[in-house]
Amino acid sequence: MIRLSGRLRSSLIIGLQGIRARKLRTLLSMVSLFLGVLAVVVVQAGASIAERALLSDLELTNGVDGTRVMGVQPGPQTADVVTSTVRGRADAVASLDLSAIIGEPGVTPVNPNGSPMDENWGDSQVCFPDGRCEAQGGPKGEAIELRLTALTGDIRVFRPFHQESGRWLDFTTVPALAPRLVLNREAAKGFSQHHVPAEMRVSGAVNDITPQLIGVIDDGDSQPHAYTRVDELTNWLPTSGLADPSTGGQIQVMFQPSTPAEQVLTAKLRGLGVETSISTVDSHKERGKELTLMRLIFFSMAGLVLLIGVAGILNVGLATVGERVEEFALRRAVGTPRTLLAGIVLAETLLTGLLTAAAAIGASAAALKVVSTLLGDSQPLLHNVQFPWEAGVAGIIAGIVAGVLGGFIPALRAAGIPIATVMRA
Amino acid sequence: MSIVAGETLIELTGITKVLKGQQEPRTILDGVDLTVRPGESVAIVGRSGSGKSTLLSVVGLFDRPDSGRYLLAGDDISRLPERRAAKLRSSHFGFVFQRFFLLKHLTAAQNVAMALVNGQGWLPRRERRKRAMAALDQVGIAHLAKSRPAKMSGGEQQRVAIARALVRNPRVLLADEPTGALDTETGTLVIDALLGATERGCGLILVTHDRDHAARMSRILDLVDGVLTERVPA
Repeated sequence: MIRLSGRLRSSLIIGLQGIRARKLRTLLSMVSLFLGVLAVVVVQAGASIAERALLSDLELTNGVDGTRVMGVQPGPQTADVVTSTVRGRADAVASLDLSAIIGEPGVTPVNPNGSPMDENWGDSQVCFPDGRCEAQGGPKGEAIELRLTALTGDIRVFRPFHQESGRWLDFTTVPALAPRLVLNREAAKGFSQHHVPAEMRVSGAVNDITPQLIGVIDDGDSQPHAYTRVDELTNWLPTSGLADPSTGGQIQVMFQPSTPAEQVLTAKLRGLGVETSISTVDSHKERGKELTLMRLIFFSMAGLVLLIGVAGILNVGLATVGERVEEFALRRAVGTPRTLLAGIVLAETLLTGLLTAAAAIGASAAALKVVSTLLGDSQPLLHNVQFPWEAGVAGIIAGIVAGVLGGFIPALRAAGIPIATVMRA
Repeated sequence: MSIVAGETLIELTGITKVLKGQQEPRTILDGVDLTVRPGESVAIVGRSGSGKSTLLSVVGLFDRPDSGRYLLAGDDISRLPERRAAKLRSSHFGFVFQRFFLLKHLTAAQNVAMALVNGQGWLPRRERRKRAMAALDQVGIAHLAKSRPAKMSGGEQQRVAIARALVRNPRVLLADEPTGALDTETGTLVIDALLGATERGCGLILVTHDRDHAARMSRILDLVDGVLTERVPA
């Protein structure tokens, strides 16, 4: 062990002396390698940032990884059971979806069927409890059709919406008579494009409702969508009306992993004969193949650039060994084993590779900081983006691999130099 | 492998070495016998190409003999694997060459200490420096410890090379025409430094063309056509 340590130290000391003695040559070999390592670091950083952006979008719509999602078939008592079971809990939130129209009464909304504001999905239909649907009449007017989701608690624990403006729903206060709504970006776009009166119609409500618009969030949904508190909406319609299948109503409950609320609710619903389906969000796994393929393609390109860097180190390494034949022969004469001579050359190329990797990592981290500062406001993907540690690790590995590959053949050459070289000189 | 006073340090018996080049094989060493005792100095003289350096290569474990027996302090090392040969070179031998082979980017002290960083055991930096200074002091140039080779004369550089050979306290010093590139006066200083080591019990084998330097050794051996013969003192 001591001997190994001595050899390791010896190769590092002599390797460092070699680098110091040939600074310019080391610098030149670093230039080509720098580009190779930089390519690896940039690809890894780009892939990590893209992956996070992708997963972040998926988290907005599907929920964070590990979230248990229960789909509940709407029924006469279902909404009551669901809301009463999870209301006030931090580890479970129920969301009940229904269709709503905000704006002038008796007109066809500007986005029939709740389509995105710039698209047209055809005329709206009004469906009745007996399953019969009729095309909604009336001239087009200043009204917006959207999905309205009533929440029992703060869903951002599971779906981390980005607050764009205003504020989010406060579930700790007394419910307001005028339901507070938080719009998503698409709905907010509609409200900014049209002069829409604050009058909301929801199927099953006894009267039109006057909502309060309190904020805008990004929920990853391309359709107009609004969120409100269940207890504020139930001032205007019975809980059972919150999830009427004839109006496209859906009930979904999100649980933190291993919360007892899931078992309790499942048992209650089973008692009512209501069907449920449960799944666990694992976006990373679902997208794993796409991400792996994406990385593979980019790494192949970065690998090619790195190979050029390796060739540079190899070239300089061979030239250096040729220049130091007498030094290596002399070192063998004073008892340096062949393995240590190879180790000296490898230590030099390895240190060069690591120094280059450090420079490339530093440069790309600094560049990312600059780009994030300059473009962060216009490009959400680059806003407050941190240099991913995976890119640093990839850079160091690339530096080590390049150092070893580039130093391997020169190391073999150095180890094979005959001692007699010094005798014949 | 320890050495007892009076014991034979090096004993070569019937050593042969044949060069197998592109032409016909040429016998360089033809049954060479040689013994060296601790503190003894031996000069090997002969014409160019007579095999002096080859003999030194065999003695210094740079090269293996084709046949014959090589005892170092009583141990047979005729067929030694390279790994053990490297260890013995480090522990038993010091080498001085005609060219000094100093590393130009290192100071004199660092050039001497370089022989201590050879993977055969580990010495802390302070200890390496202490030993390097002691070796430089032995050859009388401790004051040049921080000088680089480019700032030193040929004689000073050769004495740094001798200090490098002495720094591991070798049993035998092998010097291959160490004064070949020096003027007479400087050459004498170098031979003084080498003989200084023999006074401390180190054996010395000196390959030289210089009769005066050879005459200062305990024994003179002639190598003629691969055969080593002892010159009878006049």
